Amino acid sequence: MIAVERLVKRFGRLTAVDDLSFMVRPGHVTGFLGPNGAGKTTTMRVILGLDAPSSGSALVGGRRYQGIVRPLREVGSLLDANAMHPGRTGWFHLLSIAHSNGIAKQRVAEVLRLTGLETVARKRVKGYSLGMKQRLGIAGALLGDPPVLIFDEPVNGLDPEGVHWLRELFKALAREGRTVFVSSHLMSEMALTADRLIIIGRGKLLADTTLTELTESSTRKDVLVRSPRADELAGLLIARGAGVARDNDGGLAVTGMDAPAIGDLALEHRIAVHELTPRRASLEEAYMDITRDSVEYRAGLEPGP
Amino acid sequence: MTAPSIAVRTRDVLLFEWTKFRSVRSTYWTLLIAAVTALGGSVITAIANSNVGGGGLSLDPVASIFLAWLEYPVLALGILGLLTFTAECGSGQIRTTFTAVPQRLAVLAAKAGVAGAVTLIVGELLAFVAFFMTQTILSGGTNAISLSQPGVLRAVLAGGFCLSAVTLLGLGLGAIIRHTAGSVAALPAVIYLPLLFATLPSPWNHRIGRFTPVLAASQLVNPHPSVNFFSPALSFVVLIAWPAVALIVAGLLIKRRDA
Repeated sequence: MIAVERLVKRFGRLTAVDDLSFMVRPGHVTGFLGPNGAGKTTTMRVILGLDAPSSGSALVGGRRYQGIVRPLREVGSLLDANAMHPGRTGWFHLLSIAHSNGIAKQRVAEVLRLTGLETVARKRVKGYSLGMKQRLGIAGALLGDPPVLIFDEPVNGLDPEGVHWLRELFKALAREGRTVFVSSHLMSEMALTADRLIIIGRGKLLADTTLTELTESSTRKDVLVRSPRADELAGLLIARGAGVARDNDGGLAVTGMDAPAIGDLALEHRIAVHELTPRRASLEEAYMDITRDSVEYRAGLEPGP
Repeated sequence: MTAPSIAVRTRDVLLFEWTKFRSVRSTYWTLLIAAVTALGGSVITAIANSNVGGGGLSLDPVASIFLAWLEYPVLALGILGLLTFTAECGSGQIRTTFTAVPQRLAVLAAKAGVAGAVTLIVGELLAFVAFFMTQTILSGGTNAISLSQPGVLRAVLAGGFCLSAVTLLGLGLGAIIRHTAGSVAALPAVIYLPLLFATLPSPWNHRIGRFTPVLAASQLVNPHPSVNFFSPALSFVVLIAWPAVALIVAGLLIKRRDA
């Protein structure tokens, strides 16, 4: 269990984390989402005792991370796959970490097998691809067999097979009753991994929700209609009180009327319908709606209407 | 699980730092360069001076011949010391280190313990090997030396100790500056720049000069120390104080800074 309460972290005049409170519970994969610069990494760094909070607190299992003796047996983490000495071999990297927390040497071999790194373990880290370093970092996080796991953008650099492996690993860890907290700036990635979501923007909490709730909360619902007599049908729909918007390729986006009613109306007037698709805003769009106002770095050109 | 005792935690962090220390090449490079320069320097100086001085014995064979080697390995080992910290900052390893052991002072202390102990052993080994090589070359000449002469054993022991002290000074600087190039640039400045005080008008050259690391070291490694500076015992304290102050400052900063 991770409890962040009224957390504030300032760097000079910049407030990276602004009065943030949330809980991460065991038995779930909790996604930590937000645009770049939202404060995800800073929050995780505070949880892990790397940054001191300006105010507020971040507790793991009810304790400050800095106060935990042999913390890797309580919390496993991977913040940055490059946070390792490039001249050291993967095996020595893990062995040193194991020693630091009184973890048995054979556990090193176990996590190497689990992450598929046995064959490169005796090579220096500088020769590793980003994906291999990511796996080594994950091996380090699993070393202490901890009940709480924290990962910052863990899929970066992994190949599709690696991404799939990681998703299944996270789910398996959560099924074992562990607390799994994973950050990402990609909703699409979290949609496949997480069941709970904490969404932040500009250091503030935007949503603390589940995947299902987020999907349902999305208000944007419409029906895409294509017809060779689109203009005529649009007139009829508007007359019945529906909202109609035209998209670029002649389709009608109809709101305020469901697909069966639109189909019946068209039949009544003997208008052929070539497509009738109920649409709901995707998770991605729901996420974009929530974070729209808090995107730190926006591209200069807004997309046209 | 009951909380592990202090002894267990100390062993954890020492083993952690020791494993990291012995698994990077920079450790072996700097130790090799220290050994080659130390032994090479002493042999060359001994051969060049094997018969200088004649009957009048105008030079002290221990201070001028045997200990000439000391100047060279100082930088290599100082760099070894600072790298144990700055290499972690440069690579980001420091975040892995502080996540594994959030008690940062314990990490710094363990680094000092490991680097200090290894370089003390290596330093003493080099000092005695260099001494016996020098002695072999000088034996029979006018500058022959032996361990039984007064002050010589102390000088040889101090020669090894100086190398350990400079390693710890390097570690302290590295932990303060947290940047390899910056620390490498600062190291010789901190060691040698204070020597400028020795150019002050008398008596200030001695009064301030005795606090500098180089003159304190030279008092320690000289069988016939100068009466103008501190005694060998006090010079020993001065020599310990330099790395101690650097490490204390580093220790104060390390808890406060974001990693």
